[in-house]
Amino acid sequence: MTLALDARARTTLPDAASRARHDTAVWQLREKRDAAVGAVPDFEALRTRAAAIKDHALDHLGELLERFEARARAAGAVVHWAPDARALCEIVTSLLRERAVTSVVKSKSMLTEECGLNPWLEAHGFDVVDTDLGERIVQLGKEPPSHLIIPAIHRTRGEIGALFHREIGTPAGESDPERLMAAARRDLRARFLAAQAGISGANFAVAESGSLVLVTNEGNADLGTALPPIHIACLGIEKVIPSLDDAAVFLRLLARSATGQPISAYTTVLTGPHRGGELHIVLVDNGRSRLLAHPERRRVLRCIRCGACLNTCPVYRQAGGHAYRTPVVGPIGAVLAPAIGLPSEDSRTLPYASSLCGSCTAVCPVRIDLHEQLLAWRRDAPALPRGLAWGARVVAALMERPRAWRITTRLVRVAWPLLGVVSRWGGPAAAWRSARELPEHPGASFRERWRQRAARQDVA
Amino acid sequence: MSRVDRASAPGPAALRRSSGARVSMLQAIRSAGSRTVPHPGPHPAPSLDASWATFAGVLAGVGGEPCGPVTRAELSAAALGWARDRAAGGRIVAEPSAAVLLEAAADVEIADASAAPTSFADVAVAIVRGELGVAECGAVAVLGRDAPQRALLFLAERVLLLLPAIRLVADLHRAFSALPADALAHHHLTWISGPSKTADIEQTLVFGAHGPRALAVLGFSEDDDPAASRDADR
Repeated sequence: MTLALDARARTTLPDAASRARHDTAVWQLREKRDAAVGAVPDFEALRTRAAAIKDHALDHLGELLERFEARARAAGAVVHWAPDARALCEIVTSLLRERAVTSVVKSKSMLTEECGLNPWLEAHGFDVVDTDLGERIVQLGKEPPSHLIIPAIHRTRGEIGALFHREIGTPAGESDPERLMAAARRDLRARFLAAQAGISGANFAVAESGSLVLVTNEGNADLGTALPPIHIACLGIEKVIPSLDDAAVFLRLLARSATGQPISAYTTVLTGPHRGGELHIVLVDNGRSRLLAHPERRRVLRCIRCGACLNTCPVYRQAGGHAYRTPVVGPIGAVLAPAIGLPSEDSRTLPYASSLCGSCTAVCPVRIDLHEQLLAWRRDAPALPRGLAWGARVVAALMERPRAWRITTRLVRVAWPLLGVVSRWGGPAAAWRSARELPEHPGASFRERWRQRAARQDVA
Repeated sequence: MSRVDRASAPGPAALRRSSGARVSMLQAIRSAGSRTVPHPGPHPAPSLDASWATFAGVLAGVGGEPCGPVTRAELSAAALGWARDRAAGGRIVAEPSAAVLLEAAADVEIADASAAPTSFADVAVAIVRGELGVAECGAVAVLGRDAPQRALLFLAERVLLLLPAIRLVADLHRAFSALPADALAHHHLTWISGPSKTADIEQTLVFGAHGPRALAVLGFSEDDDPAASRDADR
């Protein structure tokens, strides 16, 4: 009867100490965000403007994509269209095969995570190296990223040190972040220089100029796309915005919402391939046009993948990203996964893994009504575990029958002390009780206390 | 509506396959949009400070090193001094756009635009001209025109950007409007705010993740020498 996410959280962050560490690390990002946001007088107006620009862009997506394609081609890029994950993987594979490429460096792209591009390429014999430090850590550890911005946020320096010792030969026991980074830098620098192709995502695609905007702090997307002769950029169709002026609005929001920086270290606007090189841009649908057709759910396509909703979410902070088992995690992942039709059998239960506190909505830089979206999924695609669904039906039936309700609540009141004991014996109630105390019962129902109060006032 | 893909070059198999995909994707996307939601127009950003002091403060806050501003006459000595101090005998490479601002020196290479990008892998200091600085985020725009070897900006151990001190704006909105008309005509436009960095291991900030370990912005004024100023604005 427990939600799938709840059960997995117990294995991904197994003990109170690891949960507390994760919670603290993630919450720090939220605090940095708050400090950065407080320093920008027009931040709330920017959020409103960003949401409106995205709504406009999504509503005109067809013509913006065509304009983007035309301008990108005029600048020398080749634009490909991929209706689904399989098509993306096939397009990339044939581009690489036709050029006899075997070694690829890759910068962070949630879209390629969603489409399973890495495992596909590895299965087809390509050597694919993730170059963002966090992505490299999870790649070496053979696990998925657990956070949108900090992929290895669930790992301690000790764990990363042990991993690097095993995989790239750092000294045993080395856990100093600076020296671990230096070792990864040496290892990856050689791979950058030898790579035959670079694969990247894109934070934005600018329709008026056919440009891609890539944002990183490490500069890995730049090395990975400036050095090899071939650059393949993979992006979801919702990344297109009308103009470079619009990009300014999003860029002022993005890094502040993500890590509390005023802007990321590198924001690169690429228009066409570099001299003597090739630029291929793959536009991917993979369920997005289905979302677009839905009047309410389309709003989730405003998402710019900053991770602010993760950092503030009480469920994500306690459960960790791996508990979601979706490429995009946290509140936004819980509404994207069922919409994009991810095969995970329990992605439909993710909307229930929320307290609906609305904190995600309060921080979202593009004002996605995330907690309303979660609620709408519960309404439109109910996926409660059977026990809970049955319980909800019983309560609903009682509430429709005042007499039955009174009798039942009176019985419960009498049995209250007993419930406290019985509920510890086992089953789902015991799981619920493991971290919660039954509140003390006030001894009378609301109706009784109301009558007593009215009687007292009559006397007075 | 179902405009056929007008591929200019005969594409490989994957390209031909994707032309059918293009038509069906665009059809689905078009039918989902009403084309009635208006664009909200430009963001009316409040007037914030665009002074060198503010820019320098923010730049230092993101791990960058603000230098100067110096006069045009002092620029060459200041830039070469910074570079030599840090290069410790290693390669110093200047993009032509920056080299014209400096006196010729035997130990400063001028980047060859036709060289392989990988040939800059061992550069100690790169000197590049910056186009525009943004006070609110400490970022400097580097134009493709001024830095045709984009890889140099990322391979060098340290990067020195030469920025006309009057070319400062308050925010990114004003920055994009103040760029020259051909800012996107040369492959890349790169905004740089401090050195390469990561906090991927337990949120510990480390500089020099993949790219430069240090980034300095040397401001210079152009007004003390009209001839030099024209030269710098070329």
